[in-house]
Amino acid sequence: MSARGAAATAARYTRLTWYLSGVSLHRLTEYRMDFLIGAGGFLARVGCQLLVVAMVFQQVSVIGGWDYRQVLFLLGFSLLPRGLDRLFTDQMWILARRLVQSGDFYRYLIRPVNPLFTLLSERFLYPDAFGELATGIGITWYAADGLRLRLTPLQLVLAPLLVLCGAVILASIKTLFASLSFWTTNSFPALYAAGQLGDFAGYPLDLYQPSLRWLLTWVLPYAFTAYVPASYLVFGRTGLLPWLPVVTAALAALALTTWHRGVDRYEMTGS
Amino acid sequence: MSAATGLAGLRRYTPFAVGSLQTMLRYRSTFFVNALTATTAVSLQVFLWRAVYNGDSGSGPGGFDRAGITTYVLLAQVLGLLHANRVDEEVSGEIQRGDIAVSLIRPVSYPLTRFCAGVPVSLVNAGLVGGPVVLLYAGLLPLQRPGAGDALLFTASSLLAMVIAFEVNLLVGLAGFATTNIWGIRIVKDCLVALLAGQVVPISLMPGPLAATARLLPFAGLVDSPLRLLLGEYQGPAEAAEILAGQAAWTAGMSLLTALAWRRAVRRVEVLGG
Repeated sequence: MSARGAAATAARYTRLTWYLSGVSLHRLTEYRMDFLIGAGGFLARVGCQLLVVAMVFQQVSVIGGWDYRQVLFLLGFSLLPRGLDRLFTDQMWILARRLVQSGDFYRYLIRPVNPLFTLLSERFLYPDAFGELATGIGITWYAADGLRLRLTPLQLVLAPLLVLCGAVILASIKTLFASLSFWTTNSFPALYAAGQLGDFAGYPLDLYQPSLRWLLTWVLPYAFTAYVPASYLVFGRTGLLPWLPVVTAALAALALTTWHRGVDRYEMTGS
Repeated sequence: MSAATGLAGLRRYTPFAVGSLQTMLRYRSTFFVNALTATTAVSLQVFLWRAVYNGDSGSGPGGFDRAGITTYVLLAQVLGLLHANRVDEEVSGEIQRGDIAVSLIRPVSYPLTRFCAGVPVSLVNAGLVGGPVVLLYAGLLPLQRPGAGDALLFTASSLLAMVIAFEVNLLVGLAGFATTNIWGIRIVKDCLVALLAGQVVPISLMPGPLAATARLLPFAGLVDSPLRLLLGEYQGPAEAAEILAGQAAWTAGMSLLTALAWRRAVRRVEVLGG
């Protein structure tokens, strides 16, 4: 594809994303109660997590080398890539659970748009993600303020990129496990299990056994979605940071390859 | 009603129990996922709390030592498995799809069929998943070994806890008559109940007012009560009896509440024919 062709394609997909997100926003205003319950659900969940952290730090002042505010920052930061990822890829859950099994997946293959894009566009801007993003920003801000965190210009530039890379890693893990459904017809359990391991990301990895830490860094690299960036922003630790773009790119490539292989072998049910 | 007709009445519910167990055994991958989820949740909590009790060789905050808090956190998750009966999801799903109409014309009590379908699944799940998880951690970490009497009290208390958990979930499921976003309500329920039950933080470690509130609510009967009995966190037989009586009272109260809620819900049910 020529450079101009690529630019035109990119422009087209940007326009489509913008338009379809607008459609989704209409849905939000239409089903306001659903939005409130969904966003409120996350508020309650994060609220409980915060309470737990607060109660833990009533007993001790430092845990695994992190104090209360630093853990808060880590927790808040972990919600940012998660929220961003959820804004755009929630439909993967449906793929894993039912689309291949029911045969409905063919709908995405007969449209003149990339099937991955069509699939995801069905649930752009899913309401629950707004609650996650808003609470994430709130907590990160509050914790950074309490820590009197002064970011260097380089850190300021890198911070949004770190969130973006984290979101790509999460989206790739989701795509990878959801695409397994092309082989197994239902990969929901696998996707769910992988997601459960992601819960580790919001806590300092220094707490865990080395083998578990290794798993979360190099096999299911959730460490790069919160722990590595937060360690860099709070403590200035850069040990694992250079690996972040490498891991992100490798994982995205793996996820896309699996997705394409899966789509290629998809057969309609014929019903 | 004589004993014979009572027994015959109960026998009507066996197919529901058998059916749900068969469904469960057909989807064996669920066991794997449950085991992985439970192991994850346990290690998340265990590492966190062991770090808190790092320096304590004797009795630390809340009267726990390191082995005690490890045992608490581990068994709290296993109890969580015993409470995960998916009744809320299934009931609200039936309501949304309108399938509830079919259940209404059956000559059996709907809450009872749900109970008979849900409880065996919970028990098998807790046994097949919880057992190996406990064994795994018992091999890895030092745990507190309970006395025989306390283990017996724990068993009785866990069974009551299982019934309370069923009733809580049935009530949440019935909320499906009032709203369609049961997903959001379930998220709120999951985290609030886990918190107030003492599943994530033992109630004895909570700040005074919160602990007092949690002890007043039925949810404390889910995790806090069984584990207090197991770890011997009570003074004399009188307090043990009091804990069990509290659970029993909530079991009865909640079943009254669910029966009432069910009757009111059925009155306003509306199913569109297709």
